[in-house]
Amino acid sequence: MPAMTTINMTAIRRNVRRGLVTFRRVVRGVARRLYTRWRRSIQVRVVTSTLVISAIVVAILGAFLQLRISSALLEAKTKTATGQLDEGLAAVRRELASSAETGGRVESVVNGLRARSGPSGLYEVYIRDTSNMFVDGWGTNGLGPESVPRRLREQLKQATASSSFTTASTYGTLKYTDPERPPQRGLIVGGKAGQFELYYLFPLTQEERTLTVVQRTLVGVGAVLVLLLAAIASLVTRQVVIPVRLAAQGAQRLAAGRLEERMRVRGEDDLARLATSFNDMAANLQDKIGELEDLSQVQRQFVSDVSHELRTPLTTIRIAADMLYEHRDTFDDPSVGRSAELLQSQLERFESLLADLLEISRHDAGAATLDAESVDVRDLVLRAVGDSQTLAERKGSKVVLQLPGEPCMAEVDRRRVERILRNLLVNAVEHGEGEDIVVSVAADRDAVAVAVRDHGVGLKPGEGQMVFDRFWRADPARARTTGGTGLGLSISREDAQLHGGWLQAWGEPGVGSQFRLSLPRIAGAELRGSPLPLVPPGAGTSRPLFVELEVGE
Amino acid sequence: MTAPSRRTRRPSIVTAALLMVCVSAGATACATVPSGGRVVSGKSADRAEQADDPYVRLIPVRPRPGWSPAQIVSGFLYASASFDDGQKVAREYLAGNTGWKLGTRPAVTVFGDARFEPRIEKMSDTQATVKLAGKQLGAINTDGQYTADPRDVVVSFQLTRTQPGTWRITGLPTEGQVGLLLTKADVDRAFRSMNLYFFTPDQRRLVPNGVFLPLANRRHLATHLVRALLSGPTSWLSPAVKSAFPANTKLLGGGVDIDKDVATVNISREAAGGDPERMSAQLSWTLRQLSEIKQWRLKIDGDEVAPDGHEGVQPIRSWQEYAPDGNLSEELQSVETPYFIGEKGLLSGLSSGEANPLTQSLAYRLVRPAVAPDKMEAAGLSPDRSQVLLTKSLIGAREVQTLLTHQQPGSRFTAPTWDRNNQLWVVETAKKKSWLWVRKRGQPFQRVEHWGLGGREVLALRVARDGVRAAAIVKVDNRTQVQLGRIAYDAKGAIDAGVFLPVSSELVDAIDLSWRDYGTLAVLGRRRSESQVLPYLVPVSGSAISPLGGGIQGEPNSIAASPGAPVYIGTRNGTHNLICHQQSARDQFSEWTCPINGSDPNYYR
Repeated sequence: MPAMTTINMTAIRRNVRRGLVTFRRVVRGVARRLYTRWRRSIQVRVVTSTLVISAIVVAILGAFLQLRISSALLEAKTKTATGQLDEGLAAVRRELASSAETGGRVESVVNGLRARSGPSGLYEVYIRDTSNMFVDGWGTNGLGPESVPRRLREQLKQATASSSFTTASTYGTLKYTDPERPPQRGLIVGGKAGQFELYYLFPLTQEERTLTVVQRTLVGVGAVLVLLLAAIASLVTRQVVIPVRLAAQGAQRLAAGRLEERMRVRGEDDLARLATSFNDMAANLQDKIGELEDLSQVQRQFVSDVSHELRTPLTTIRIAADMLYEHRDTFDDPSVGRSAELLQSQLERFESLLADLLEISRHDAGAATLDAESVDVRDLVLRAVGDSQTLAERKGSKVVLQLPGEPCMAEVDRRRVERILRNLLVNAVEHGEGEDIVVSVAADRDAVAVAVRDHGVGLKPGEGQMVFDRFWRADPARARTTGGTGLGLSISREDAQLHGGWLQAWGEPGVGSQFRLSLPRIAGAELRGSPLPLVPPGAGTSRPLFVELEVGE
Repeated sequence: MTAPSRRTRRPSIVTAALLMVCVSAGATACATVPSGGRVVSGKSADRAEQADDPYVRLIPVRPRPGWSPAQIVSGFLYASASFDDGQKVAREYLAGNTGWKLGTRPAVTVFGDARFEPRIEKMSDTQATVKLAGKQLGAINTDGQYTADPRDVVVSFQLTRTQPGTWRITGLPTEGQVGLLLTKADVDRAFRSMNLYFFTPDQRRLVPNGVFLPLANRRHLATHLVRALLSGPTSWLSPAVKSAFPANTKLLGGGVDIDKDVATVNISREAAGGDPERMSAQLSWTLRQLSEIKQWRLKIDGDEVAPDGHEGVQPIRSWQEYAPDGNLSEELQSVETPYFIGEKGLLSGLSSGEANPLTQSLAYRLVRPAVAPDKMEAAGLSPDRSQVLLTKSLIGAREVQTLLTHQQPGSRFTAPTWDRNNQLWVVETAKKKSWLWVRKRGQPFQRVEHWGLGGREVLALRVARDGVRAAAIVKVDNRTQVQLGRIAYDAKGAIDAGVFLPVSSELVDAIDLSWRDYGTLAVLGRRRSESQVLPYLVPVSGSAISPLGGGIQGEPNSIAASPGAPVYIGTRNGTHNLICHQQSARDQFSEWTCPINGSDPNYYR
């Protein structure tokens, strides 16, 4: 039984804690959402501050009004009460003057008082005969003697000594001997006539009721007023905020590249001027961007044209050079034969440069098309490695393959991916300093990746980006020994992007570099991640010196 | 381009500003008090009931140290007039072991003096005797009945010194009935005269029974009233009336519960044996004196009881069929007109303001006519008032028979009066002597043996419409007094008209009276301060009398009144007999006019 209670207790405690946590989370969520709205919306800010400020103002105004009304009411009541008391005192004095010296006087005064006390509830009368020590007075309708405060009695007692006043008034509580009759707040006025002290006690129930009604009305009207003000503020801010919001949206769309975006111009006010200037700016921007685009189009066209135009003479030169090369042994001067060889090699280089230029100009013109088919990436890797095997052997590098056991099928353009891999391998061999080159392939549900790792000089910080620039060289002083055109990595990246894939580089000086190609399995699908890490395992101990290059950024 | 447009807009701004000023001026005008408007009519609050008068409470003082025994007695007597707290303060004047038991309706000895003047008779170190001499006016019994009993009394108090300088009362007066000693002013202030309603022996009409109740708390007045009603009629009226409540019926719960204007009377199960209809009638008539009650319901032992043909919640004005004055709502279909002795001594009626003889020829002159309620007979007196005459069948009556001739030389008869059972009552009176005669229909007159006013001269006697009470003008010590008696029948049918109680002695020279309604008499009399005999309304409860109209020519000598009908007065102006009525019957203070030649007006009822 105790165990069960403990369990229950713990369960309850756990539930409570969970509930508290949930509650706190909800509250925090709401607060955060509100704060966000507060930060984001000028309208919310204006309406809230209007609400707060107008509430304060209305509260102050209401309190002031209430004060004024209640003081006016009480003033009027006091005036009435004093008038009533004066009349009563005059009646008592008349009675004193007319009736006999003793005996019936008190009774006649009390009877007169009873006749005058008015309908019960309007006011009570309390009269004291100071000469009769056996009676504390007579009161109407079960009035308790404690209803007349001592301070008022003391004040009236002094009235005999100094005749500057004969009446006094104060506020107090009307108490009744009947326990079921609740005490009432009231105005108590008292006066002296001969041996009699006469008190009139006016319940302030009616005034209280009036004040309650006034208070309720004030609160209601105040609330409505505050809400109205808030609504007005909301309306006014809307008039300002909506054009501003429209302008912001326009600017956003403009920034997103929709240069034809314009704002509607309505009226002649400041907002209209803002819209006009915005539109002017947009128009200018569109003009300038159009001009620039035209210009680059012209340039690209020029490059493409030049490449094409160069091809025809090059073919002729090539035929001539081939002939010269074939007959190089026939030249007497061995230096001429050497020149023919040089011409041959430089012509080959020139041709490949021209082909690369054409390729890249095709990319620039957006004319590159993807000829996708489903292939096993491992086959492509093997073929690329086979192609560059001789070069690697010449350099003294060994290509290590890390391939998965199962096929890595992907929808890719075989030619382009082979070119990328070739480029990467050639690049790795060239900068590999004779060390091993590791080629790893991996695949997951959405993507395949190929990483080419060398252990050469590596990349300096910032060079990870620059390797893909056109005609960029790690060491400008180095000779172009292996026919690299300087456009290979650039074209490779364009090809990767054409697939919707990534081509990224990582490098560290002295450690080497790694290039990773990630491709979606289905052509054109969005790539979310890569099956291989960009930084090779065991190398990324120091701070990562890679640049995430994502397509679309 | 903008300048002209701005110029055209400016007037509209000015107009708007002007409009605003106008509207705000109008709004401030609304805040002031109106100086005109339509006339709003209303109804003035009906404060006719005596219980609604504001009451004044005496605030007692606790005994102070150092008061002398005489002061202690004075303080005690003053404090005992404070009913609200159950004489709590008064008990502080008593030594701890002094027994002083008071019920909710204590017996009261009423003193005439406004102030008590106690004197120390004997005083030792520890004991004192204080005597109080005063003029007793009467006493209120525990059942609320006031009986006048004027005499000089001396009462004595025993006091003991309990602590140094502190005297307390140990012995209360033993003379007479022990109760409260109050002055008349105290009683006027603290007591209210209320009516309890009981049934006539034939259970056809209610009879009011006036009692004095201490007004301790206005809220509990209904409870006190119902308790008083359940405890039965006062000793004075009890032989003549019946209560529908079975004996020992009690009020259950904390009393009468009044929720808004609905009172709930929960009585004990003994009442199950009673007739709910008559019990309801009694309660209804008793509670209607409290203006705050508009409806009520009867519960017996917690179960709501509805009389046949009535809802559980009864309006307070129901049970009109048992009204003490008879069911007015039925009979007021035709406005009642008086009859009188017209010109040539013919018994006449009044139709559309004209005298209209009811009988064609009357061989005998007859004064003070009185027609039986069933209009089968008419009685009257001979002009010298020594004979009682009767005529059978009112219309076309030719014969008048003498029923009764005075028995004593020099005595004469008062105006004959019929009760509602067609009994004819007449008093034969001489100086300091009187006899009551009664005649059942078809029988000769009989003298009533039990007649309380036998030793006094009686100037007038009228039986009330309930048939139980009778009002009389009695000569006491050469002054007239209006008295109220009741007529009781014992098991053998013997009549008891014994105890008469004084109602008012304000009219020193009363001549004639008539019942205006069950609670009010119309009396012709003269106030001490005035010279002329005038009509007054005298409440039977003993409250203050009030004059009826003003400016009568001639000397009034007879009066006739009926509920809801104008009061008629027969006057003698020199040699002319004129009958007067008020110009407006509704207004108590309207002028009298005397347009009719005739004398001795009277009403059928």
